[in-house]
Amino acid sequence: MAGQNTIKSRVDQLKAKFQRQNWLFAVALFLAAAVFPIFPGVEGWMASQASLIILYIIAAQGVSILTGYTGLVTVGHGGFLAIGAYTSALLAKYYAVDLVIGLIAGGLMSALIGFLLGLIFLRLSGAFMAIGTLGFAFFVGTVANNVPLFEGREGIFLPPNRVLGIEIEDLGFYYVSLVTIGLITLFIYGVIRSGVGRAFMALRDAERAAESAGVNRVFYRTLAFSISAFITGVAGVLNGHIVNYVSAEVYADIWYSVDFLVATVVGGSAVLLGPFIGGVFVVMVPFFFETLADFAFILKGVVLIAVLLLAPAGIADVLARPFRALRRHQLEQAETSSTDEAKP
Amino acid sequence: MSAHLHCENVTVSFGGVVACNKISLDVEEGKVIGLIGPNGAGKTTLFNVLSRFQNVDEGEVYLRGKPITGLKAHQIIGLGMARTFQNINLFNELTTLDNILIGAHRLLGNPFADILALPSARRIEAKLRDRAVELAHSLRLQDELDNLVKNLPYGMQKRVELARALAAEPEIILLDEPVAGCNDEETTELKATIKQVNQEFGITILLVEHDMSMVMTVCDYIHVINFGANLAEGTPADIQSNPNVIKAYLGEDY
Repeated sequence: MAGQNTIKSRVDQLKAKFQRQNWLFAVALFLAAAVFPIFPGVEGWMASQASLIILYIIAAQGVSILTGYTGLVTVGHGGFLAIGAYTSALLAKYYAVDLVIGLIAGGLMSALIGFLLGLIFLRLSGAFMAIGTLGFAFFVGTVANNVPLFEGREGIFLPPNRVLGIEIEDLGFYYVSLVTIGLITLFIYGVIRSGVGRAFMALRDAERAAESAGVNRVFYRTLAFSISAFITGVAGVLNGHIVNYVSAEVYADIWYSVDFLVATVVGGSAVLLGPFIGGVFVVMVPFFFETLADFAFILKGVVLIAVLLLAPAGIADVLARPFRALRRHQLEQAETSSTDEAKP
Repeated sequence: MSAHLHCENVTVSFGGVVACNKISLDVEEGKVIGLIGPNGAGKTTLFNVLSRFQNVDEGEVYLRGKPITGLKAHQIIGLGMARTFQNINLFNELTTLDNILIGAHRLLGNPFADILALPSARRIEAKLRDRAVELAHSLRLQDELDNLVKNLPYGMQKRVELARALAAEPEIILLDEPVAGCNDEETTELKATIKQVNQEFGITILLVEHDMSMVMTVCDYIHVINFGANLAEGTPADIQSNPNVIKAYLGEDY
């Protein structure tokens, strides 16, 4: 029995160590992102480009909650991006609202619409859900184009960005984006390691079994929709304020929705790191092929197909494989070595 | 009426087909009850009625005297009734431990406290984890806790389903063809596990099964239905010698 306990504690210790390593990696990544602008040779526009990457990652994180963890494919998250952007833009234009309030208000408005959409789409799944969400994005685009409040293709020009009363430029905006993604990543981690995340994944893998285990399908589906829409709505606020301009010309475009789905799937839709890799990918591909815009489209498509065929769990999953194998090996070693010690 | 589960005149029809026609049956507390009948007799439909995936046209189901046909599927476990599925219905992309933990979903506290990892939620989670590990030990799944269930052998997956049902701390479990697709060895093992669940945990069991030798050795009492209606009931010995049952399974000429 004593032997049994040492095995258990060794394995537990090792698992705790792995968890510390994960946290260390996340903190290191965050700190590296925080000091990157002060390196010599880094120019001002790079901070702006980095902010763009961050907001794409956040938008993809929103998609991953619904598509990756809950198993509902969305081709309509550009709609939530628009709702976040317009909410904050109108608040900034008419009430000179601070960006921090704008981020919260944009997220909440998007979450509210997400909740309603979740209710309306309660019976949809698979391809029908994809078509339904696509229709939602078109609906939002049409509203933005035609309702006078949103000023159509003329667009809404925003006042300079203010955070806690202080006016910020590109670098300040980058740090706002960085703090935002830090908080949202912590939130997502909180969701997926909790019973709520388990309920999402249970509905994804076996809906009836989940219900028989007591998972309230209506509650958890609408909750997933709300959380997902909140996160992408926050990305929308950043997307409006990064250029201080919000227009139907931009938000009626379906490519946002497609890009976010591609980012989520290519990076890894049910892996915490997935949207990070996917976000960098969808922003940087057109950046490198600026003069060959069509080629960027083709490359995105080819990579998407390749990932779906070769590594459906996404690039993040492929990158994590050697580490997982190493850890499993260490765990097995810990188990066997403790058993050997326990014998004599 | 002291029956744990009681069906009264349950009637379900799909268009012109009457799947269940005034089926009535009692499941006595603490017993293992079998529900058998030829293919298409209405067993699966009745199970779906019990776990609220199917509405009734007429009749009522009472669980410990409470009518349940007005409830939603996810509310049934709250009354202490769990189920397993005919074709294994596990959460494939999750580990054995997570599968068992979802079984304990109803014992979780406030979902928002859970997301924020508040101390109360952490305490509950730690307790449920300990219980899940204990359950895994008693169903001989302790070495598979961190493995994805999709990679486990068939017989083991069946036990994970049972462990998931037990994690909800039910008083009665519905087993839909627990040994379907199992080889002899797995069947023997599952029979022992079902006995164990009934005796060690004191849980009432209602099971649908086509494997007659399994039904006859495990069940205390058997209900037979045919063409959606009650045909016979009795102890395994009664059922084996009942001419109506033999006719239903083998045809007029035998």
